[in-house]
Amino acid sequence: MSKTDPGGASRRGLLAASAGMGAAAITGFPMVARSQGRRPIRIGMPTILSGRVAQLGISSRDAVLMEVEKFNAEGGLDGRPIEVIVRDSRGVPAEAARLAREMISDGVDILFDGEPSSGGFAVHEVVRETGTLTLHINTETSAMSADPKQRFWNAFRIARQGIHDSIAGGVYAAEIVKAKNLRRWMTVSPDYAYGRDTTAEFIEYLKYFTPDVQVVGETWPKLFQPDYTENVTRLAQGRPQAVYSCLWAGDLVAFVEQAALYGLFSQSQYFAVNMADYTTLKQIKQLPRGVHSGNRYLSSYPAQPTNAAFGRDYQRRYNNYPTNWAWQAATAVHLTTAALKKVGSTDPRQLASALRGLTIDSPFGADGKVTMRAEDQTLVGYAIGWGTTIPAEPYVEGIKTADWNQITQLEQEWKKGKGWA
Amino acid sequence: MRRLSGWRGDVLAALGALLVAAVLVLGLGSNGLVDFIIRFGIFGLLVLSLNLLIGTAGLVSFGHAAFFGSGAYAFGLLMQSGGWSVPAAILAALLWSALLALAIGALCVRLSEIYFAFLTLAFQMLIHSMVISWVSLTGGDQGLMGGVPKPPFLGIELARPTHLALFAAACLAVSAVLLRQVIRSPFGVALRMLRDNPQRAAFLGLSVFRYRLGAFVIAGTFAGLSGVLMSLYVSGAFPTFLYWTTSGEALFMIMLGGIGTFLGPLLGAATFLFISDRITAFTEHHGLFFGAVLLLLVLGLRKGMLDWAVEAWRSRRERHKA
Amino acid sequence: MDLGELAACMGSLPCVITQVSAGLTIGLLLFLVASGLTLIFGVLGLVNFAHGTLYMLGAYFALSAYELTESFLVATLAGTLGVAVFGLLMERTLFRRIYGADVLMQLLVCYAVILIMDDVVKIVWGGDFLKMDMPETFRRPPLLIGGGIVPLFYLVLFGITLAVALLLALGMSRTRFGRTVRAAAVNPAMVASLGVNTSFVFAAVFAVGSGLAGLAGALSAPIRSVVPGAGVSILIESFIVTVIGGMGSIGGALAAALLIGLTRSFGSIGFPLFTEGLMFLMMAAILLVKPSGLAGKHLA
Repeated sequence: MSKTDPGGASRRGLLAASAGMGAAAITGFPMVARSQGRRPIRIGMPTILSGRVAQLGISSRDAVLMEVEKFNAEGGLDGRPIEVIVRDSRGVPAEAARLAREMISDGVDILFDGEPSSGGFAVHEVVRETGTLTLHINTETSAMSADPKQRFWNAFRIARQGIHDSIAGGVYAAEIVKAKNLRRWMTVSPDYAYGRDTTAEFIEYLKYFTPDVQVVGETWPKLFQPDYTENVTRLAQGRPQAVYSCLWAGDLVAFVEQAALYGLFSQSQYFAVNMADYTTLKQIKQLPRGVHSGNRYLSSYPAQPTNAAFGRDYQRRYNNYPTNWAWQAATAVHLTTAALKKVGSTDPRQLASALRGLTIDSPFGADGKVTMRAEDQTLVGYAIGWGTTIPAEPYVEGIKTADWNQITQLEQEWKKGKGWA
Repeated sequence: MRRLSGWRGDVLAALGALLVAAVLVLGLGSNGLVDFIIRFGIFGLLVLSLNLLIGTAGLVSFGHAAFFGSGAYAFGLLMQSGGWSVPAAILAALLWSALLALAIGALCVRLSEIYFAFLTLAFQMLIHSMVISWVSLTGGDQGLMGGVPKPPFLGIELARPTHLALFAAACLAVSAVLLRQVIRSPFGVALRMLRDNPQRAAFLGLSVFRYRLGAFVIAGTFAGLSGVLMSLYVSGAFPTFLYWTTSGEALFMIMLGGIGTFLGPLLGAATFLFISDRITAFTEHHGLFFGAVLLLLVLGLRKGMLDWAVEAWRSRRERHKA
Repeated sequence: MDLGELAACMGSLPCVITQVSAGLTIGLLLFLVASGLTLIFGVLGLVNFAHGTLYMLGAYFALSAYELTESFLVATLAGTLGVAVFGLLMERTLFRRIYGADVLMQLLVCYAVILIMDDVVKIVWGGDFLKMDMPETFRRPPLLIGGGIVPLFYLVLFGITLAVALLLALGMSRTRFGRTVRAAAVNPAMVASLGVNTSFVFAAVFAVGSGLAGLAGALSAPIRSVVPGAGVSILIESFIVTVIGGMGSIGGALAAALLIGLTRSFGSIGFPLFTEGLMFLMMAAILLVKPSGLAGKHLA
């Protein structure tokens, strides 16, 4: 058992080397050489690199490595480069928690938690105890930052949030409902926390703006269900005028393909919040025209040169498209490096207070800026827009940008309703 | 040799092992080692309990994680409700796991072989479905969130990893001694007879149902304790705890170490965790390397490591004599 | 629970036609996977936990073949034959060694195969979920049959899977090979003593079973996402079918697969949140009442 002692310099060297090798194997570039003499700033990142959502984890890691390399090339923090240690949790929450602990034991300065909600909450509990500065970059479940019980000084969320998406989606859908008189709705969403909460919140805001909307049926496929025919025929039976879905990634692709065969897209208006992500758009062989979708990640929206450049660089480097998890990961690096430069050291207390309320220029901001909101330590001001799909690039047209004043105001009411504000 | 092979010997061996663990935890002060000892305590307990069913009773259960998970959820929920001390909540969680094992076991132990395996699997997946659907109680797929409070008791602060490691090691040591006594007892002898020679056992008037159910409940209870330790370790409980993959991992650990020796499963658990961790640390192709190692070990030895070693040692001794 | 909705559907012919046609198609696809599983168990005594991996490989093979040739027929054949050959190789190099070993040994070897193949697939095709295209001819608006909605592609799937199921049944009962296989399942020693090369029979059965799983993967690649790890969910469902139908019984697997398909399609209307739980409940109930399954010989 004594062999398991992970401390010691030799192992650190090995870790760094393997992280570098991993990066080299994927990208063809070696990781940036460490500058002489000064200890690098070490960031640990557990995420999902295998199984059904591997691609998202991979894109998250790739975006982090790409942005970190830029920071290092510009000289890092007074010559101290950032070194990233990425480990595969395989989507198992307990393994994510273990990896987080192991990284903390190995002395990482900052943790980038690259897990979705389930693993994210497991990591959250670990760092609640250890006091490690932690950036959750893929947890969208609102409760993580909105519920005061979940909040503590060293944890930040740098990801979109379910409630923001739902408010924006509700506002957008209500306009269409009024214009086209869509009263009968059905929903098809994955049967797990994210799916249930996001759907309930969307419907809540849809009804808030257009009270006469009726939900006449719901169908709840399991997460990662291989086949959706039963859900498709259920929708065919219900003959709704509009359908809401927060299915995502491979599940959404299979659903759309099967629904298209059943001719559903010509029957009803579809609102699929997670459609506009390249990995999804690219795989649907005949993307139906006119599906309403929120932006997950699009290099054409927000229409800023920096965003287009990010999409282009990423694509050139990895021969693949960025995802929602990629822009979030990149934003985490941007905010971290901004805070590091402000503080000048890696002291977690100082970094945390620098992060609180920090506003930076961002390719992904609604007005070219994103902010780490101080009161609940979560990202705001990122671009949220809804538009309709077209079968070829840029895939989504007529994007309407959500109004952050309205989002913030309704979010506050929602928190009050939950007893959280 | 003879004199030390009774329960006194077991207790001495357990104390010795505990002492070694304590020296490692307190002496070296390495966080990674502390974490490893906690996880070894958890999975060691899980595989020892499962091997009571597999090795001693000859019942291959695919659903053992149901009790692991139920222990974790029961403990986590009680601690979150407030007003429970850690020892009281542990006892209640064990009682709950035992009752669940009694109910499920009563239905399952009537079957044997692959049918028993599949029925336990079906019940485990049913419970998994229920935990996922009962969101208001269990938190559904997100599991119990918000942390499990760990108020100190008797000077033991489980929120501190070193204390938790010693506590887990102590739980494992005590349980190992107890399980060993169960196996040695007339009850254990009867279980082995039912496994090897059911006709003779029936002839002697042994009730297959009662003995097997007894073993099922004992195994379920100890699995519940291991679940309690798990929820202390990750400060929560997740549906993966009672998914078939967790049962599967416990089976693989046992297979690696060997079902024929008492300590085999423990060796398997340690090896499994060690190899898995090492592989995660150097590659993202965890499955490829881990699968290859498993294949080589299994096809190379064709049995668990300790079983293989014991047999090799015995045949060598035979040859010496001859 | 939405039993009113279910009753309304049962009372309307179009609804029944839509649900039944969908349920049967999904059930038959599931049968292709489960039949291989049950055949391998019945004849070789091997619980092939890695069977889902063969389904996944079938989908990947078909996808690559379609991208090269744009032919649905070639893609289907590539999925079927490619996986049959792959299965044959696995049987000769690996599984042959664990016939007669206890179920735990088989479980561990299969688990290792699943782990390795999921990673190999990720290395070869990438971690992205992929989708196979389908010929334009299948993309027309769905047919209306008696008011029920039936997409053309589902009709194609139904035809192919039904034909394969019938061929399999005929092959098992009418051909010499089929009779040998059935005899080998009951008493391999006797079959061997009659001068039949059982090793050859076993290899052939494994190849056929693999090919069936590969075919199911290939056929579903145009409508489901193709992704590493796709084998696991289909494996669980196939096991439910195999157990309900009776381990080792092809006819039982067919009945159970159709039952599951219909339970899913009508369940999505009547009790949308409990279809999954219902399947495990059915599996537990069958095991308790009749462990040998709907059609199996009593082995327990």
